[in-house]
Amino acid sequence: MDASAMNPATAAAFEGMMQQKQMKEFMSLYSNLVERCFTSCCNDFTSKALSSKEEACVNTCAEKFLKHSERVQNDLLTMRGARDPPQAKAQQR
Amino acid sequence: MSFFGAGRSQSAPQGQVDQGRLVEAQMELEMVSDLFNRIVSSCHAKCISSRYAESPELNKGEGVCIDRCVAKYFAANEKVQTVLQAAQKAGGNVGGF
Repeated sequence: MDASAMNPATAAAFEGMMQQKQMKEFMSLYSNLVERCFTSCCNDFTSKALSSKEEACVNTCAEKFLKHSERVQNDLLTMRGARDPPQAKAQQR
Repeated sequence: MSFFGAGRSQSAPQGQVDQGRLVEAQMELEMVSDLFNRIVSSCHAKCISSRYAESPELNKGEGVCIDRCVAKYFAANEKVQTVLQAAQKAGGNVGGF
C-alpha cells in the first residue's frame, strides 16, 4: 500500500476507504468477540443473568483477546521492521 | 508483501482519482486485513486456553507462543505464496474453473 504512487485525489479516496474499512473491522471485532466469549464462558442456563463466575470469565476473555491481538500487531510490526528497516518508519502511521 | 504498484508511473491527471490504483490498493488492504484477522484467530486457538480462569494478562508462556505462532504463520504464508506463484507460472490455470 505504497501511497507515494498515488496522486492526491487517489490518496484521499484511499484514506476514506481505509477509514470505512477500520469502522467495519471494529464492528466485526466486537461481534466476533461477543460470540467467542459467550461460547467459552456462558454454559449455565439455570438463570437468565450472568453468574459472577461467568461475568469474570467474559471480562477475562475479552481483555485477554485484546491483549493477544495487540501482541500479534506488535510482532508483525517488529517483523516488518526487521525485514525492511528504512521504509518501515515511513509506512507506519 | 506488495504485489502491485512497483514501477508504475502516475496514469491519472492530478485532480482525478486513479481508479486502477485505488482498486489495487483496496485489494491489498483487504488482503492484509484478512491475513491479520486469520493470524489473530489461529494463534488465539493455538496459544490461549479457553478457560479464562486466571488474570486477563498474557502469561509468559502465552506471550512466547504468540510470538512464535505469528512468525510461523507468516513463514507458512510465504511458502504457500511461492508454491502458488510457481504453479501459476507452470500450469497457468490455478484456482480457475
